[in-house]
Amino acid sequence: MVKDSYDFSWEDLGNLEIGRPNLGNETSVAVYRLMQFTFKDVLSKELGKEKTSQLFIQAGLVAGREFCRNILNTSLPLNEFIAELTQKLVDLKVGILRVEKAEMDNLKFVLTVSEDLDCSGLPVLGETVCNYDEGFISGIFKEYTGKDFLTKEVDCWATGDRTCRFDVKPV
Amino acid sequence: MVSNSESLYKILSDCLSQVQATGIGPDGLVFPVDCADVPEGEHKIFCQNLEQIFFMLNESYRYAQSLAGGELNAEVSRNNIFAMPLKALQASLKHLTWQTRQVAAGDLSQKVSFLGDFSLSFNLMIESLREKDALEQRLKTITDTLGEGIYLVDPHGCLVFANPEAEHLLGYREEEMRGKQIFNTIHSRQEDGTIHPHVDTRFASAIRHGHAYQDDNCVFSCQSGRLMPVSVTCRPVLFDDTLQGLVIAFRDITEQKKYQQSLLTINELLEKQASIDSLTGIYNRMKFLKLLTVEITKAQRYKSPLTVIMLDVDNFKNVNDDFGHHSGDLVLRALAKVIGNSIRTSDIFARWGGEEFLVVTPNIDLNQGLQVAEKLREQLSETTFAIPRPVTASFGVSQYREGDSDTSMIHRADEALYRAKKNGRNRVEPE
Ligand SMILES: [Zn+2]
Repeated sequence: MVKDSYDFSWEDLGNLEIGRPNLGNETSVAVYRLMQFTFKDVLSKELGKEKTSQLFIQAGLVAGREFCRNILNTSLPLNEFIAELTQKLVDLKVGILRVEKAEMDNLKFVLTVSEDLDCSGLPVLGETVCNYDEGFISGIFKEYTGKDFLTKEVDCWATGDRTCRFDVKPV
Repeated sequence: MVSNSESLYKILSDCLSQVQATGIGPDGLVFPVDCADVPEGEHKIFCQNLEQIFFMLNESYRYAQSLAGGELNAEVSRNNIFAMPLKALQASLKHLTWQTRQVAAGDLSQKVSFLGDFSLSFNLMIESLREKDALEQRLKTITDTLGEGIYLVDPHGCLVFANPEAEHLLGYREEEMRGKQIFNTIHSRQEDGTIHPHVDTRFASAIRHGHAYQDDNCVFSCQSGRLMPVSVTCRPVLFDDTLQGLVIAFRDITEQKKYQQSLLTINELLEKQASIDSLTGIYNRMKFLKLLTVEITKAQRYKSPLTVIMLDVDNFKNVNDDFGHHSGDLVLRALAKVIGNSIRTSDIFARWGGEEFLVVTPNIDLNQGLQVAEKLREQLSETTFAIPRPVTASFGVSQYREGDSDTSMIHRADEALYRAKKNGRNRVEPE
């Protein structure tokens, strides 16, 4: 029976070694963005900008959760966990994650992502656009700590800030 | 009023020449035209754009200045297109600040990427810190598991570090002792419990002069008040030839001391057994000869008189035959007691064998020796023994002569004794 909704699982990403023996597992950022921005286009027209942002955040949460479960080692202490996360994001060419502030006691962070997959190089639009990243970061922190997190992008390439800056805190 | 292109170019040109010649001064790069004075039209739009650019350049310059001055929280307008690369730099610097703090706090998982040579230098530094960390960990494991107590003190004798074994042995916790002068505490008393004369301790000297030393007979005071015998090795810690402190390694030698003590006791016992006659408890023949030799040497050196008295119980064979060997033994024991009580403590008294005894009386000549022998003879004849028969003894006395040996002196006393027997027993004869 075909279900009405879909539950993501990591296996659904498929076996790229078999599937793309010649092209490999990489693609162009433009193609990635093409998909994301066209989704944004149709969704915002269908559901409005606010709702679209919310959906992107939710999708990011799922992505962060699955990324953490399948790629990261959650048994590491926080410092080392962040170090590993940083390295993986570079290895997978997602972006350059940096920590500007970290209050380890109450788990409040200020993170920056440079060369972000979603927004770097975009024209200055006057508003932050990395909703998917917000969800992605919250999802990772939630999976690691077991607590709900709220991530807000305060600066973005698209606001003229050259690096995306995220306030991360538990809710 | 800027009314035409020419006058506008002139104003702008003057302003730019000024800036090029003197730099951006304290007032900054100020657009020299008030746009309100420019009539509506292309000129005005051009001026407004240019004013905006001037503003951005000026702001960007100030922003760069702040960053160059180390003010990492400097801010700039979001739409300032000239400041954008600087914002990326600012983010990197903020991140580096955080990373450096993390490293200072011991987080060695930090790594810098995409900052060119700086990344390389930073990551090399982290690598070397990691190596040091590994080395430290190794050292810590060693000191943690070592069976010796270890103290590290600074040049003032104040504790810097104590390993778990040091805490365990003496009972002082490292936290309580850190920064305090430890010798006042751990080395305050001597073996007999009296207060240590601090100025003279080897620790004080080791600290003053950076000496190394080893002491197998040291005493440390435990927190419980117990005095612990310890073996101590002390080494100065030098850095660039200046004394940084001392490492003191020590171990408890209580058991070792006990063992040494028990060995000593056993040896004493063995020696006693080897020199004491088991029946009478006085010296035996071997010990007597040793002591006599010592006395002969003294007599020789100090030209002092020395006398040997030999005595033999009269008719002792009959005692054994008539009353049994046990009674004979009792007689010999009683005799040894009587004579032992009558002589001076400086005299030497021994059983020579069977019922024969010898007394050495230092600083006494032949005449006095004869008197001593006579007194002993009288005392014996007056003593009541455990057998229903009087017990007497015969005495022979010899005096040291130049060149005498132990055997020659004893031999002459024996000859005199023989005469005493021949002349009727219970009497004293001189040599
Ligand atoms: Zn962004």
